[in-house]
Amino acid sequence: MPKHNTLKSIQAAIQNGETNGVSLVDYYLSKIEETKELNVYVEVFAAEAKERAKVLDQKYKKDPTTVGRLYGMILSIKDVLCYEGHEVTAASKILEGFIAPYSATAIQRLLDEDVIIIGRVNCDQFAMGSTNENSNYGPTRNAADPTKVPGGSSGASAVSVQADTCLASLGSDTGGSVRQPASFCGIIGMKPTYGRISRYGLLAYASSFDQIGILSNSVEDAALLLEIMAGADEFDSTASQSPVKAYSKQLSFDKKVKIAYFDTALNHPNLDAGVKEETFTFISKLKEMGHTVEAVDFEYLDYIIPAYYVLTTAEASSNLSRFDGIRYGYRSPNATNFLETYTKSRTEGFSEEVKRRIMLGTFVLSSGYYDAYYTKAQKVRRLIAEKTKEIFSTYDFILMPTAPSTAWDIGTMSNDPVQMYLADIYTVQANMVGIPAIAIPLGKHENGMPIGVQLMADKWKEAELLSFAQKIS
Amino acid sequence: MSVYEKYETVVGLEVHVQLSTKSKAFCADDTRFGARPNTHISAISLAYPGTLPRLNKKQVESAVKLGLAIGSKINQESRFDRKNYFYADLPKGYQITQDASPICIGGQLTINANDAERTIRIHHIHMEEDAGKSIHDMSPKSSFIDLNRAGVPLLEIVTEPDFRSPEEVDVFMNTIRQLVRYLEISDGNMEEGSMRCDCNVSVRLKGAETYGERCEIKNMNSMRFARRAISYEVKRQIDLIEAGGKVQQQTLNFDPVTGITTPLRDKEDAHDYRYFPEPDLPPVHLSDSFINNLKTQMPPLPQELFKQFTSKFSLSDYDATLLTEEKETALFYLDLVKNTPHHKAAANLLINKIKPYLNEQKSSVATFPLSVKSLADFIQLIEDGKVSNTIAYQRIFPALIETPTQTPLAIAEKLNLIQNADEDFLQQLVQEVIKKYPDKVTTYQKGKKGLIGFFMGEVMRLSKGKADPKATNALLRKVLEKQ
Repeated sequence: MPKHNTLKSIQAAIQNGETNGVSLVDYYLSKIEETKELNVYVEVFAAEAKERAKVLDQKYKKDPTTVGRLYGMILSIKDVLCYEGHEVTAASKILEGFIAPYSATAIQRLLDEDVIIIGRVNCDQFAMGSTNENSNYGPTRNAADPTKVPGGSSGASAVSVQADTCLASLGSDTGGSVRQPASFCGIIGMKPTYGRISRYGLLAYASSFDQIGILSNSVEDAALLLEIMAGADEFDSTASQSPVKAYSKQLSFDKKVKIAYFDTALNHPNLDAGVKEETFTFISKLKEMGHTVEAVDFEYLDYIIPAYYVLTTAEASSNLSRFDGIRYGYRSPNATNFLETYTKSRTEGFSEEVKRRIMLGTFVLSSGYYDAYYTKAQKVRRLIAEKTKEIFSTYDFILMPTAPSTAWDIGTMSNDPVQMYLADIYTVQANMVGIPAIAIPLGKHENGMPIGVQLMADKWKEAELLSFAQKIS
Repeated sequence: MSVYEKYETVVGLEVHVQLSTKSKAFCADDTRFGARPNTHISAISLAYPGTLPRLNKKQVESAVKLGLAIGSKINQESRFDRKNYFYADLPKGYQITQDASPICIGGQLTINANDAERTIRIHHIHMEEDAGKSIHDMSPKSSFIDLNRAGVPLLEIVTEPDFRSPEEVDVFMNTIRQLVRYLEISDGNMEEGSMRCDCNVSVRLKGAETYGERCEIKNMNSMRFARRAISYEVKRQIDLIEAGGKVQQQTLNFDPVTGITTPLRDKEDAHDYRYFPEPDLPPVHLSDSFINNLKTQMPPLPQELFKQFTSKFSLSDYDATLLTEEKETALFYLDLVKNTPHHKAAANLLINKIKPYLNEQKSSVATFPLSVKSLADFIQLIEDGKVSNTIAYQRIFPALIETPTQTPLAIAEKLNLIQNADEDFLQQLVQEVIKKYPDKVTTYQKGKKGLIGFFMGEVMRLSKGKADPKATNALLRKVLEKQ
């Protein structure tokens, strides 16, 4: 079976009788087996996926009009999304053996359209990390070069698509966790507007930043998945009531647009020369297409990372308090009293990076430090939001590299967390402000690794963002 | 003057009122009291990974109603915060509460304690959720946790330090209890934990400008205990100061068995709750129309009714207090006096006959069989002198309950209870009695006028209660004086 890059091509093949759900699942299961050494899947739902495919094939055979819009879509999900009756651990020992008693709203909406979930994939523990090395299951490797990291935290989600073990994957994006690995693996990574997709059933890292995101080979699949998952949800008060557009049907684009980029970003000392060159080449290409691309001032770039880490760790320190060994998850066998049940379960259950962030967040919220850190960071967030809004009053999109470099060697970042945090410089703005952003592949670096470029749009402008991305990718 | 009299007691309260909403503050779990442990729970109240809170609209409405009742400013853009601490009965590891921007700001409540009116200023009212229950004394080796209560909606009423005695605290709590029951936002039941309070207690020399260092007595769920705890704590603080010591800011526990307070934690060990805005809930935006709509739903309030009853209907404070204790009684009274001009008689009927009857039947005015029209007729029958009060209460009332469709007059007639003021009828009875007791007549005439009561009684007995008392009395006097 040839590799399919879009659901449309799969559905055409099904229609022509070239394939069906069962053979698709078999194909992807064989790819999962082939790429085992990349350590992508932490659990493969093989039997279940086959069974579901069989049922759907029968349904299709009886009457092709009765199957859902995602018939033929084989999906992997990041280990932070609840799928009823399946284990979900956030790649952490503290949730070892925990079975989700309900499905995330996003997952349920996809299931209702006959998606097949083929397995649960690795990630950085509690989505904290940029390399997928911070996992209870060990590191995931980049399929383009197994000595490199796939990025993170949705690293294995990216590799699952990159290595053709599924058609698309769901990840989560708190500060670039979908876009950066997409960029490192040469695929599409889409983070919608904050509130576009319900977070119910997504294990929280930083509640006011988290969004479910999509990793795929094509913009059109991202558009379709978004369209199905998006929309109001009574179980998430932060999910927007604003109507969901038919993104997948509005992908044609023939306007000339105005695009802003930040001088400070493209001339940043940490930006790899090769990535910079490719980005400028891309800008020239856009100009040739008749679009306006201009440099604008953005004086807050260097404040983004510190403010982001203050705010996200503050929220995380609170969000992760529920993992106490009392009601579910890991309880330390070494605890001999009430207090130790907490301290030992949490000390033994969380990874070093997770504990680092919990402590950082606890510190910035503690009395005496609150104003200096948390309040200040909130102020920075507000300023960045205002500035971004101002840019969008003139420009349709903001263009940025996705990451300052291509994928790192495995092991290089794990001893230098600050260096790793700084690499989020181009992606966190979208989360700070809550705007949609998409990472699209931009060819290869001379080192052979994929490069990505990122486009951001104003809030709720997913339709414009996706159709423009479709046009230029 | 004892040393204690040199000091003034200063108390401020944090009152927790459990709301009687059907579901919890942030999920659909049942809130009823008394269920088997850990049966009113769900993925959300157990804080399973990935779950999120969603606000119960009834909780917001309850808060606004209480705020309107005490004259608070309603904050149209309030916000939730997280109060972070670890405890086994706090599933999320934080309590969702309102810290920086509560829903009701300011307000006041006037109370009447020791025959003096006192105004207690309210600092604010905020919404929050309850924790579960930890039980540490069921087994020497294990603790038990019941999470039925986890997430039950609470309002916390925070007062200014305006109380000057334990009695005032008691009266205030009862006033709040009455108010929340009028508003139908809580059952106000302290035994079941629907109302609890933390008491911030300090003392200062009378006339001092500044407050003394305060101690907080946690979780008082009985007013009797609260009064004892405050009294004990005041004495402890005064003794300490008099002995040259200084009160340290502390959180205290009161043991009702020993009657003393003991420190739970010192200021240095005070929790750092790391409050920050709850990112999972958007700010609570209240439109003008939402608030106005609630304003139109407000019931008459007990203090307004008390004023109306004592001024407009000229009832005694005592009667007005009894009638306004429960909203349904007060409203029933209002309904009744719309149908009768005899306000005092109506109050008497409600207090002395109907309420005891309902208590006995374990019933309420909602299911009381008699209409206010019928009761008004009943009162009128007495006021017209057609039946005596005693006969009406003892004979007609029960008969009326049996056959509520009959008029009181018809019943009185049927039972032959209508009083008679006919001169011939009375003359005959009076003569009969005088003949029967010549000695008593002589005694009366010698000056023992008190015997008139005896003669009245005899006439009444003979008439089977039908003799009109006024006319009988007049006639008796006339006849006795003549002889």
